[in-house]
Amino acid sequence: MKSREQEYREIFMSEALEYYDAMSQHISELERNPQDQPSLNELFRLMHNLKSNSRAMGFTEIGEVAHHMETIFGLIREKQRDFAGSLSKVLFSGVDTLGTMIRAVGEEMPLPDVTTLLDNLDRLVRGEEPELADEELSDEDATRKLELSDLVYIQIKKLDHLLNLVGELIIDRDRILTLSKELGNTALQNTAAHLFRITDELQYSVMDARLVNVGSLLNKFPRVVRDVATAEQKQVELTLSGQDIQIDRNILQIITDALLHLVRNAVAHGIETPDERVKAGKAAEGQLRLSAQTERDDVLIQVIDDGKGINVEQVRRKAVERGLVSKQNAKNLDDDAVRAFLFEPGFSMAKEVTEISGRGVGLDVVKLAIDSLGGQLRVDSKLGEGTTFTLVLPTSIAVKGALLFELAERSYAIPLMHTDSVVSLMPEQLHIVGGVLMASIQSENVPVVSLKRLLYGEGPMPPVVRAEVQGRHDIIIIDYNNRKLGLIVDRFLRQQDIVIKPMSKPLDTIELFGGVTLLGSGQVCLVLDVPALTRLFLARRP
Amino acid sequence: MKNRILIVDDSFYMRTMLKNVLTDAGYEVVGEAANGQQAIEMAASTKPDLITLDVILPDNTGLDVLKGIRENDPDVKVVMCSAVGQEVIVNEALESGASAYIVKPFSEEKVLEIVGGALAAE
Repeated sequence: MKSREQEYREIFMSEALEYYDAMSQHISELERNPQDQPSLNELFRLMHNLKSNSRAMGFTEIGEVAHHMETIFGLIREKQRDFAGSLSKVLFSGVDTLGTMIRAVGEEMPLPDVTTLLDNLDRLVRGEEPELADEELSDEDATRKLELSDLVYIQIKKLDHLLNLVGELIIDRDRILTLSKELGNTALQNTAAHLFRITDELQYSVMDARLVNVGSLLNKFPRVVRDVATAEQKQVELTLSGQDIQIDRNILQIITDALLHLVRNAVAHGIETPDERVKAGKAAEGQLRLSAQTERDDVLIQVIDDGKGINVEQVRRKAVERGLVSKQNAKNLDDDAVRAFLFEPGFSMAKEVTEISGRGVGLDVVKLAIDSLGGQLRVDSKLGEGTTFTLVLPTSIAVKGALLFELAERSYAIPLMHTDSVVSLMPEQLHIVGGVLMASIQSENVPVVSLKRLLYGEGPMPPVVRAEVQGRHDIIIIDYNNRKLGLIVDRFLRQQDIVIKPMSKPLDTIELFGGVTLLGSGQVCLVLDVPALTRLFLARRP
Repeated sequence: MKNRILIVDDSFYMRTMLKNVLTDAGYEVVGEAANGQQAIEMAASTKPDLITLDVILPDNTGLDVLKGIRENDPDVKVVMCSAVGQEVIVNEALESGASAYIVKPFSEEKVLEIVGGALAAE
C-alpha cells in the first residue's frame, strides 16, 4: 500500500503549497482592503480545504491551525470581527506558520511549536486580546522566502502529443544525420551529431515524464481479490511486490483489464476451495502473488498462484477436439507448446462459466492486449502446485529496439522483443523434416522458412527440397507464444531504435505489418508483426 | 450495472481519495468537477446516479450548486461532503433535497456505507 500513500502525500504537498501561496496573496489583499469579500471567501475556503486534507493525511496540527483560522475568517466575513490591529498580525503569523508547517511535513522535519499561536487564535475567537511577543509587534518579516510547488499536473493527452512530436523529430534527425554524411560537410556533421545527442535526451525525458508506478494499478487488487474470493468461497492471501517499478502510463492502462482477468481467473479457477486444498495436503488459505520487476529494458509482471495448476493432458485433448492440431502432432508437442493453446481464441478450460471469471472471455483477450503493446505473455504451470502467468512489457511505447534486415532489396524491421537470436547456417546444418526446414538452435529443433516465400506466396507452401538449400543462410529466430520460428532473410543490416508509426489507410488492414518507420536514408521500412507472421506460417506450412 | 458517480470537490487531493475509494468498490466515476459551474454542466452531460458534493466551492456555495443540479434532474442522489462546523449548511442541504452527508476527514468504510445507502434508498 506504500505507493498509494506516496501518491496521496505528493498530491497533498503540492496542493497545500498552492493553498499557502493563495492564502498569502489574499491576506495581503485583505490588508489593503479589509472588507474585500472575494478574498475573505477564498481564505475561508482555502483554510477549509487545508483543514480537511491535513486531517485526512493525519497531520492534525496543521488541521488544528487551519481550523482556527477558518473560524476567524468566518467571523470576519460575517462582520463579527474586523481585520485590523492585533487580529491581522496574528492571522498573518498564522499563514506564515502554516507555510512553515507544510514545508516541514514535506521535508519530514519536526513541526514548529504552535501552542502560542493556537492560544492567541482561541482568544480571538472568544473576542479577547491576543498576547503578542515582541517580534510579532515589529514590522513584517523582510526575509520571507517565496516558494512555488514542485509538482505540476498534466493531462496524459498533452504528453501523448509531446511524444508524437518527439517521434517525428527523431525521424527527421536521422534523415539529417544521413544527409550530412552524404554531403561530407564537417560542420554540418558536427551539428547533426549534437542534434542527435539532444534529441536522444529529449526523447528519454519525455518518456520518463510518462512513467508511473506499477503500484498505482497493483494496489487496486487487494479489494478485487477479496471480492472474488468471497464470491467463490475461497481463502486467498494476496502479496504484492515491486509496486515502485515504473512503466509508461498508457501501457498500464492497456493491461488493466488483462491483469484483472488473470487475477480473477487465478482466484476462481486456479486456487482450490479450502476443503480441496486441505485434502491435497496444502494450507487452507491459497497464496496469490502479484509482482513487478525489471528485466533489461522490459517490465515483467507476474501473477503467481499456488493452486491446482494446468492439466496439460486436458489441454492437449481439448486442442485435438477443437481441431487446432492433429492427434498425431499433439503427441509430439512439449508442455510449453501445449499450454500455448490456452491463448487461442475462444479456448476455455472452465467447465462452467462463473459470474466472476466472465463469460466467453478467454485468455486470448489477454493475449491480444499484450500483443498490441508488442509484449509477450507466458504461462508456466505445475499440476497440483500452481500456475504463473508472466507479462513481458516494454517500459515505453514510443521507441522500440528493432533488428533491421534486407529482403528483396528492401529494408524491414522486426521488434527485438520477439527476436530470440540471429544465426548464419550452412546447408549441412539444416535438415528437411516433412517438407519443412529444421535447424537445431541451442539443442532445440526450430522450423525455418524463407521469409520471401512466406510473405510473397499464397496457399500452402510447397515442401522444401534439398536442391534448393544452397549457400549460407542468414536466419532470424523469432519467438512468439513459446513457438520459435526461423526466418531466412537476404542480409542482416543492424540493430536500431525505431519509432513505429501506424500504417495509414488502406494499408492498415494488412496485419502482417505492425507499422512503418522511416530510416535515416528517407527509405520507408515496414515493421513485421511477429504474432501475425507466426500465425501465417502455421496456416501455410506444407 | 455499475452505479455512476460524479465527484464535485475543489481539492484535487479529496477528489483523488474519493475516486480511489469509489472505484475500488466497483463504482464508475464518470467525472470530477472542481467548481460549481463545472458541476452543474457535468451533472447535465454525464447524468450520474449519484453526486458527491463539497459544501464549500470557489464560485458558488455548495447549496446553490445543489439547487442548480436538482432543477435539471430532480431524481439524482446527492451526498454532501462537509467538515465539522458546517452543520447549518448541511442541514439546509438536506432540506433542499440532498440524500445524506459525509463529514471530512472520512474513512473508506463510512463513504461506502453512506453512498451505498443513498443509492439503495428510493
